[in-house]
Amino acid sequence: MNLERDKTLWRLAMLIPPLAVFGVLVVWPLFSSFYYSFTNWNGFGANYRYVGLDNFLQIFDDPLFMRAIVNTVIWMLAAVILPTGLGLVLALLIDSQVPGASVFKSIFYLPICLSAIVVGQIWVWIYQPDWGLLNTAINLVTGGDSHFAWLAKPGTALYAVIAAWSWQQTGLAMVIFLAGLTAIPSDLVEVCHIEGASTGQRIRQVRPATVVVVALGVINSLKGFDVLYIMTGGGPFNTSDTLAMHMYNESFKKYHMGYGSAISVVLFLIALAIIFAYFRQLRKVDQIYE
Amino acid sequence: MFKTTRRALMASALASGLLAALPAHEAFAGGEVTISHYFTGDLGLDGLKQIFAEFNKETGITVKDSPIGHEDFKTGILVRAAGGNLPDVFSYWAGARTQFVVNSNSLHPIDDMWKAAGLDAIVANGATLYNGHRYLVPFGYHYAGMFYNKKVMQKAGITEMPKTWDEFKAMCDKLKAAGVAPIALGSKNRWPAQFWFDYLLLRTAGPDYRAKLMAGTASYTDPEVLEAMDLWKQLLDAGDFAKTPNAYDWTDAADQVQRGEAAMTLMGTWITGYWNNNKFTDADYDFFEFPTVKDGVPRAAVGPVDGLVISANAKNAEGAEKLLEFMISKPDVQAKWASIQGALSANVNVDAKSYTPVMQHALDVVKNAQAFAFNYDLATPPPVAEVGLSAFAQFIDNPGDVKSILDQTQAAAAAAFKQ
Repeated sequence: MNLERDKTLWRLAMLIPPLAVFGVLVVWPLFSSFYYSFTNWNGFGANYRYVGLDNFLQIFDDPLFMRAIVNTVIWMLAAVILPTGLGLVLALLIDSQVPGASVFKSIFYLPICLSAIVVGQIWVWIYQPDWGLLNTAINLVTGGDSHFAWLAKPGTALYAVIAAWSWQQTGLAMVIFLAGLTAIPSDLVEVCHIEGASTGQRIRQVRPATVVVVALGVINSLKGFDVLYIMTGGGPFNTSDTLAMHMYNESFKKYHMGYGSAISVVLFLIALAIIFAYFRQLRKVDQIYE
Repeated sequence: MFKTTRRALMASALASGLLAALPAHEAFAGGEVTISHYFTGDLGLDGLKQIFAEFNKETGITVKDSPIGHEDFKTGILVRAAGGNLPDVFSYWAGARTQFVVNSNSLHPIDDMWKAAGLDAIVANGATLYNGHRYLVPFGYHYAGMFYNKKVMQKAGITEMPKTWDEFKAMCDKLKAAGVAPIALGSKNRWPAQFWFDYLLLRTAGPDYRAKLMAGTASYTDPEVLEAMDLWKQLLDAGDFAKTPNAYDWTDAADQVQRGEAAMTLMGTWITGYWNNNKFTDADYDFFEFPTVKDGVPRAAVGPVDGLVISANAKNAEGAEKLLEFMISKPDVQAKWASIQGALSANVNVDAKSYTPVMQHALDVVKNAQAFAFNYDLATPPPVAEVGLSAFAQFIDNPGDVKSILDQTQAAAAAAFKQ
């Protein structure tokens, strides 16, 4: 009995340091955001006052917020389709024992090891209008003389950033799918092949992995800030703003820290809803396995 | 043995605790002043380091420096302010930005120091009071002019620089005929485009109207604004600007002029510092004043003033005041800084001969101007400037939308003024 109590005490004591760090770095800022979202704080100094729900009502009058929501949804959809689809194809190819599979695996995984700043800068160079890789390649193929500014045009900026972001995320999706595929013992897979299992049937094996990949993709897309910040900063003229970018611009460029906090609260609620949906799906998958 | 060791340990711990509790400037002679500023790489970090070393020699005060790149500084300093973590001293732009920080009680007033150091007799162009007090010591200012590549102009057969709008347009036509893009603009970071709006509005509606627009008592939908934007649109429609300005930074535009791909760029005098570093010198470039558009409008010169301010809860306000005084009142320090940075000194005692011929010319222009106006993003409050700068970028992308862009701008600016 005594021993049991000691154990519990020890466990609690051991939990205190990580909980303290989590509290200071996550919970406290979260609550300060909630707090400031009800004020008109500008970020400098201590003069601000309580403004009730004004900041949240302002959201409905803000055309930039609406554009940011649309862009965030586009980004999320792209996040579900592009890295997931490409990652699955790559995983299936590598898993089918093509020669040099492990080399390819490393190459495709490499981008995920790079920081977002590096990825962003590489793609800024690729999109550079005069000597960038993309225009150079297009000109080589078509024999034209294109100087198209991919990141400076409102029609292409967001998609150009999404392409760069997907390039990085595909590696992660591929590895998770590979883990899903290789979790099945290879003699069983061989038997399946002999028995004439189709690719479609193999894809069904990776359903649990798909849930993980899609959920991670959607959650990561909400955090899709750093690559965007480096590549366009939400520009040109706010056309590639996502919610996170809009929050940043309002808080730190327009000095509307109160309104920026309100946007962050909305972003938090959206993320929370998605995470709940994700855990419900995970539970279902667990039930299938049991 | 064990006991004495433990006692010694406790004593030393106590002593170091006491030492740590003492304010830094009492524990060490001179102490330390923390500073953050936006003068990195291209903009003269090395020169500033030398100046801080001289300050240390004279006063014994160490300057602890944390520079941030120019673009990142604008948000970086706000992040530090929001976290209650401002350095003792930071660089800031005189005008609406400083006014904004003063209004939030975040700065330390320097009226006493200003008086004691007799700065009224020394400071040029810096007579700015904020809510009736001194907060900022200017230590350099710039002038925005039309900087051009001499050889390119020669090749196109242009010997005289334009004085009027018509002459200016004729010159652009001549340059195009010679196969050169007349005007380079790098508006990726938006602010470089503002000088066009500033000068076109100042040369048509005049400084008084512009001051009203900047203060929110005139509207972006007024005919005055539309007229200025229309002139800008004519140039864009005529293909006088090098392609896709929004894709390039101001340094790219400077490079285009240096390489002779474009003839000129409307930019601040800091471009001379950038070009000189790139081995493109006085012999290769010059500038002319933005041409007269309407007769009878007072001639204004546009530019920013760089200054230093002290944060309201500076740990070493006394040392900070000393640093500000040192930065402005020594003519030799000022002359050195001005030449490194390609700036004009804010100290009237700096010998004009210490400037390059181009900078002497800039000084004359500013002295002879009937008004000195801060550029757009320093003339109107930051939340409004943010709206306007995006509007200029949108206009450059699609000049045909000018009317709807101005409508949107007015709506957003009015909302920003209200907050």
